[in-house]
Amino acid sequence: MDFRAGDSWGMLACLCTVLWHLPAVPALNRTGDPGPGPSIQKTYDLTRYLEHQLRSLAGTYLNYLGPPFNEPDFNPPRLGAETLPRATVNLEVWRSLNDKLRLTQNYEAYSHLLCHLRGLNRQAAAAELRRSLAHFCTSVQGLLGSIAGVMAALGYPLPQPLPGTEPTWAPGPAHSDFLQKMDDFWLLKELQTWLWRSAKDFNRLKKKIQPPAAAVTLHLEAHGF
Amino acid sequence: MALFAVVQAAFLLTLLSFRTYQSEVLSEPLPWTPESLEVSINSAQQCLYLQWRVHNLTHHQELKMVFQIEISRIETSNVIWVENYSIPVTWNQVLHWSWESKLPLECVTHFVRIRSLVADASIPEPRFWSNWSSWEEVDAQKSLGQDPLFVFPKDKLVEEGSNVTICYVSRSPESNISCAMEDVPIHGKRLSPNVSVFILNDVRFIRETGTNIYCLNPSNMSGIILYVSKVLEEPKDFSCETQDLKSLNCTWDPGHDTTLRHQSSQRYTLFESFSGKTKLCEHKKWCHWQVAPDSQETYNLTLTAENQLRRRSVSILFNLTHRVHPMKPFNVFLKSISATNATMTWKVHPVGNYSTLLCQVALHGEGKVIQHNVSVKVKSQYFLSELEPVTEYVTRVRCAAANHFWKWSEWIGQTFTTLEAAPSEAPDVWRNVKSVLGSHIVTLFWRPLSKSHAHGKILFYNVVIENLDKPSSVKLLSIPAPANGTELTLDQCSYQIHVTANNSVGTSPASIIVISRDPGNKNVEEGRIQGTEDGFSLSWKPQSGDVIGYVVDWYPQDPRCQLQWKNLDPNTTSTVIRSDAFRPGIRYNFRIYEISTERIAYLLEKKTGYAQELAPSENPQVAVSNLTSHSFSLSWKDYSTDSQSSFIQGYHVYLKPKEEQCHPGFEKVVLSDDSVCCQYKIDNPEQKTFVVENLQPESFYEFLVTPYTSVGEGPHDAFTKVTIPDEYSHVLIRIILPMIFCLLLLMVLCYLTSQWMKEKCYPDIPDPYKSSVLSLIKYKENHHPTIMNVNDCVPDAIEVVNKLEGSKIQFLGARKSLTEMEFTKPAYLYLLPTENYSGPGPCICFENFTYNQAASDSGSCGHVPVLLKTPPSQLALLTSPENLLKTLEQNYVNSSGGSPAGETSLNYVSQLASHMSGDKDSLPTNPPGPALCSEYRTQMAVSLGLASPSPSENSSLSSVTLLDQGEPRR
Repeated sequence: MDFRAGDSWGMLACLCTVLWHLPAVPALNRTGDPGPGPSIQKTYDLTRYLEHQLRSLAGTYLNYLGPPFNEPDFNPPRLGAETLPRATVNLEVWRSLNDKLRLTQNYEAYSHLLCHLRGLNRQAAAAELRRSLAHFCTSVQGLLGSIAGVMAALGYPLPQPLPGTEPTWAPGPAHSDFLQKMDDFWLLKELQTWLWRSAKDFNRLKKKIQPPAAAVTLHLEAHGF
Repeated sequence: MALFAVVQAAFLLTLLSFRTYQSEVLSEPLPWTPESLEVSINSAQQCLYLQWRVHNLTHHQELKMVFQIEISRIETSNVIWVENYSIPVTWNQVLHWSWESKLPLECVTHFVRIRSLVADASIPEPRFWSNWSSWEEVDAQKSLGQDPLFVFPKDKLVEEGSNVTICYVSRSPESNISCAMEDVPIHGKRLSPNVSVFILNDVRFIRETGTNIYCLNPSNMSGIILYVSKVLEEPKDFSCETQDLKSLNCTWDPGHDTTLRHQSSQRYTLFESFSGKTKLCEHKKWCHWQVAPDSQETYNLTLTAENQLRRRSVSILFNLTHRVHPMKPFNVFLKSISATNATMTWKVHPVGNYSTLLCQVALHGEGKVIQHNVSVKVKSQYFLSELEPVTEYVTRVRCAAANHFWKWSEWIGQTFTTLEAAPSEAPDVWRNVKSVLGSHIVTLFWRPLSKSHAHGKILFYNVVIENLDKPSSVKLLSIPAPANGTELTLDQCSYQIHVTANNSVGTSPASIIVISRDPGNKNVEEGRIQGTEDGFSLSWKPQSGDVIGYVVDWYPQDPRCQLQWKNLDPNTTSTVIRSDAFRPGIRYNFRIYEISTERIAYLLEKKTGYAQELAPSENPQVAVSNLTSHSFSLSWKDYSTDSQSSFIQGYHVYLKPKEEQCHPGFEKVVLSDDSVCCQYKIDNPEQKTFVVENLQPESFYEFLVTPYTSVGEGPHDAFTKVTIPDEYSHVLIRIILPMIFCLLLLMVLCYLTSQWMKEKCYPDIPDPYKSSVLSLIKYKENHHPTIMNVNDCVPDAIEVVNKLEGSKIQFLGARKSLTEMEFTKPAYLYLLPTENYSGPGPCICFENFTYNQAASDSGSCGHVPVLLKTPPSQLALLTSPENLLKTLEQNYVNSSGGSPAGETSLNYVSQLASHMSGDKDSLPTNPPGPALCSEYRTQMAVSLGLASPSPSENSSLSSVTLLDQGEPRR
């Protein structure tokens, strides 16, 4: 690359601007307080744990539904399950999200998914499966609380559910039992994808909030300006 | 022509009018035709519902009519169902009829039409069918959504074993739609380009979430759940009983559970026909029915199991009082427990007015169960008798209705232990008597009492010895348990011995034995007996008529084993002694005694034998003696014939022959290893010597002595070798021994005269130190009695110490460079303190480091010359050779920095070191002068490191040492 004097001045100006604004970053503007770092780490750990937990739960539950839902290469067209929040997102869109939006989407998604999970738990006939589902619901509830904690630590408000869009699980055969099974399948699949995405989200956030030591030094110096 | 035309016109008019009339008559609708036909469908039940009316009926008219209904599928001409439906019809009645389709109604379009026939007797025949109604089309597909693919029927519930027809409906005529049940593809029949039908026969239950059936093409998927329920079974073992006449507890075996997800489970209801009451049961296996307080006695209960597909019921009729199953008794206690009795009390729960119960008491103890029945009102007790002392019992009780037995209640029990009682039997006692030096040593043996006779823990045994000859003499011995015998020393009198066993409660009856002063028949011959697998069979002849019994005792040859005995009735003259302790190869001795009425034991017979004889495992240790040139003797007197593993019948002496022929008396035999031996047989087992004769002198023989028995002989392991001396060896010995003696005598004489011989033959060389001349010199010359001057010596060894020409080697001790010094003398370091060295004197120094210290301590040796000087402070460390070498190396290393390699390398110490001056801190400036000291030193070369002296270099420093010059070494 060809750096000229003008470029250097520009870079210097940019650096100064960054340094000037550093104290304004809420995540960094906490002296003495450990900050949201530990809670982000915990949230990240929880998502990884839930991923592991879901792997075994999904195996059991899909066997309970029977073939073709428990077949490893079963990849049906997404019938029904419109109310489930989609975890898949365009990479560019995902990159363009800011922390607040990212966390908000996570929070909303798990709120919906938890609601559907509870419905799943209500329908399950096998006692052992019900216990596993209840345990998983508790874990997801914990994740939701954890995300809320991170958001509060970063100073973001919790998303308010729009009237009429509050997630509810309505029992009853709105459609056939086969589609219900398909919904269950998609619920578990979306959960899996969401947990994977959340792990990436929190990993990204973690790295962002816990900058390397040199940057912290810079930040402290910035206070002296 | 005109007429023809008129007639023709009239004919045509007539014909026309007739046809008009006819058509008017025929086209007039018949009365009572079905009208207003409406068709509806029920998809879940796959039913078509028809409803219609019949007009033209008068107000109170009722006609019996038959309606014929036709159903077509896909097209009207494809009639699949025709049914005649007969029903009386009244005015304005709406008629209904339904039809269940095996094929889901959504799959294809159905068409329905109907016509009627009056079949009422009031209407005269002939009867005609009415006209068909128009076809009513039933197309369920119209109400479907816009999905591209459907599968029907949705979420159908069927029983196991049913045949189910399913279909898929595609919005577009595609051929690449595949369907599967679970993970198994299914193949159907195409009804139309968009519809295919599959028939599933004999469907089975797979899981409660239903069987998944689905169809898919690359872009779409649709499926259904087929719920296959197990067939509801009739409840089995339906039974009702009461515990308190207030409620009935009904139980049954429900069989298969027909529960499915999203489908309600089977439910159970109880119906009592007399009272007309019904109860929906909450559980699948049992149900409570509250008994009416109106003292209804007879009940007719019907249990109905029901699910969405089936209903099953079972009934029982019973009298309430005949189904009483009491609760288990309570408050069970045991009181007044003694050694043989106890009293058990308990209470029962009252059962209405029918409070008389039959209770069963069971006593478990000693592996037995004793049961008694007791009639009980509310409280009861039972006296348990004939119990064994010190025994743990479990007593249990259960009750049932006394009047109409239905079922026993559960058991309830208690455990108790009876108390101790005095032992009930005398201990079984036997004795062994030995006469030693005019006294009898009596060893008493007794067996511990069995638990049933001991009645508690035996604490001690009392032995009362009563001298029959002196009635007043009684001696009591108390022997603590668990001893099982004692030894008594009695004199030659007759004694009566009483043995009793005692526990904490009392004493057992006494067991009595009399020891007679007469030792009895000592001349009883010992017979042999052969044991079998069953034991030893013994028989004897009774000697006197008055006996109270016989005793057979036995003991193995091994004295460590204890005497065993068996008591026998007086009428017995034979017995078989069995014991697990009998071992093969062990000799057992049996003695048979008769017990007289005076309780004196008389020995009848003695037997000895083996349970199983075993071949000897060892041969006797044979000693060879009397070895001559023609014979030798063998002896094995230490060999005990009684302690072998079988009866020894004799011995075989084997001799390996030197020739083809055996010696006289020997037989040639082939041993197990195919070697040939000469065998001599000794028939007498007590003959334990044998003389082998007729041997050849100066030859070599091998022999073996082995016992033989009825089951074989000893091992043919090691033959003993004997070398026969020659005939004249003893003569030679007689000559050689005196000659040796003479030679020894001569040697002693020579020794005694050796001094004399020496003086005569080899006189001593005179010692100059001891010469008398010295005394004369002493007075005349100086006070150094020198015999020989060093200068006169011819050097035989050279010590190359250093070669330093212009180089600067720093000596640590001297702090001078060697160049500053006159290197005409060797540089010596005095390793040994020399302060006390008081001048020259006779001394002997060994360079060997091991002796350095000793020599130093003696103070007779002043120095050890080495090349490098060590500071005095280091001297103390150099007490061991290792330290010395280390120091040397260090010094070498220190000094090597300043000295070129190869210049200082080798220490050569002469055997006779020169005497050095006593100054330890300075390098010697004088060469060793005329040594007045005769020092003997070992030659030693100390190599230091890599450098080696170059012989070609000019050494300006040399040490000249002397060997002892002509002086004899001492």
